[in-house]
Amino acid sequence: MDKIDKSDIFLSVVQTNKGIIYKVANSYCKNVEDRKDLVQEIIIQLWKSFDNYDDNFKYSTWMYRISLNVAISFYRKETSRKKISNLLTDGIINFPDNDYFEDKETDLGILQQMISQLKDLDKALMLLYLEEKSHKEISQIIGISETNVATKINRIKNGLKQKFTKIKNQ
Amino acid sequence: MENTELINIWKQQNAKIEKTLAINELLLKEAINNKAKSSLKSLVKLKTSGIVAFVFYLLILGHALFYAIFNYSSALNYFIISVAIITVVNIKGFSDYIRHLNWTNNINYNGSIIEIQQQLSRLQLSIIDHAKIMCLQIPFYTTFYLSNKWFPQEVGFGYIVFQVLLTSSFIYLSYWLYKNHKPENLNKKWFRNMIAGSGGKSVMKAMEFYKEMEEFKRDDKNTST
Repeated sequence: MDKIDKSDIFLSVVQTNKGIIYKVANSYCKNVEDRKDLVQEIIIQLWKSFDNYDDNFKYSTWMYRISLNVAISFYRKETSRKKISNLLTDGIINFPDNDYFEDKETDLGILQQMISQLKDLDKALMLLYLEEKSHKEISQIIGISETNVATKINRIKNGLKQKFTKIKNQ
Repeated sequence: MENTELINIWKQQNAKIEKTLAINELLLKEAINNKAKSSLKSLVKLKTSGIVAFVFYLLILGHALFYAIFNYSSALNYFIISVAIITVVNIKGFSDYIRHLNWTNNINYNGSIIEIQQQLSRLQLSIIDHAKIMCLQIPFYTTFYLSNKWFPQEVGFGYIVFQVLLTSSFIYLSYWLYKNHKPENLNKKWFRNMIAGSGGKSVMKAMEFYKEMEEFKRDDKNTST
């Protein structure tokens, strides 16, 4: 695969799966400016590992692995944030009007808020569950057994449902 | 509330994302081409002041050492031995620091979350092991100014006792710090302050996250059995 081919395929993969990057960045990063940095970091890391992409996995699985790993590491890696901010002046993904997505009154807004409040690993599990990934695929992405995936999802999901109903009834 | 209801709520954003989320292809191309910058270059940019200070100190030490060897004495003496050991320890510390930064900045994220995050946390925690080497130089700051010409033959007994006590206490301090440079001490303020320069904050976060992952794995064992 020559360089032009490679970058074209990469662009098309990112274009097709841009929702993954957006949802991960949105769930792990509340601040809009930081979110742009995170998106850029995710894309750079995707590009860096594109050569080693293993076609036994779906593109979406590969993207979730990288995106979630980068997002979880993002705040613990103090130094990279400055580097990325300096790299580009604006975002690669143009985010729509923030209120449109983060209206706390809507069901989606409430769910997004609740997801963003989860612990890093629980958040990753829930994101994958809500994307209707199979337990097998989730266990491959997270690195825990399928049984554990099922148990944890159940526990988090029940907590979310209770919290959701409580907020809706207020 | 049904399980499918949560999923359906979540799905509401898919159509919106498809319709309104635009990829800026120009910036995307720029980003992936910019990546070609060498990792060392970006590292130097990140930790410039620390790296410059370290290099400057090593140059001073190196210069003092060579000056002493070539202009005063080629024989081993207090100054040459002390400065040589301080230099070696600092070179080791500096190379560990650079290597470590390089690792953490070039980690391959293509792996399972638990695997990669544990690897990353371990790397961040290992900075403590590297930092402890630096403690070994401490006693030599109490010996470099001595000279074979006047010590111990030309000084009084009181000075000899003072020098022995001073060096011994620094040896003990060095040993104590070396021994106590461990992740378990991250909850102690003095230790956090000591490793602040080596990225203490991220080491703390790494430790917390490592514990969280250990808990995750423990659950894993419990549910599998």
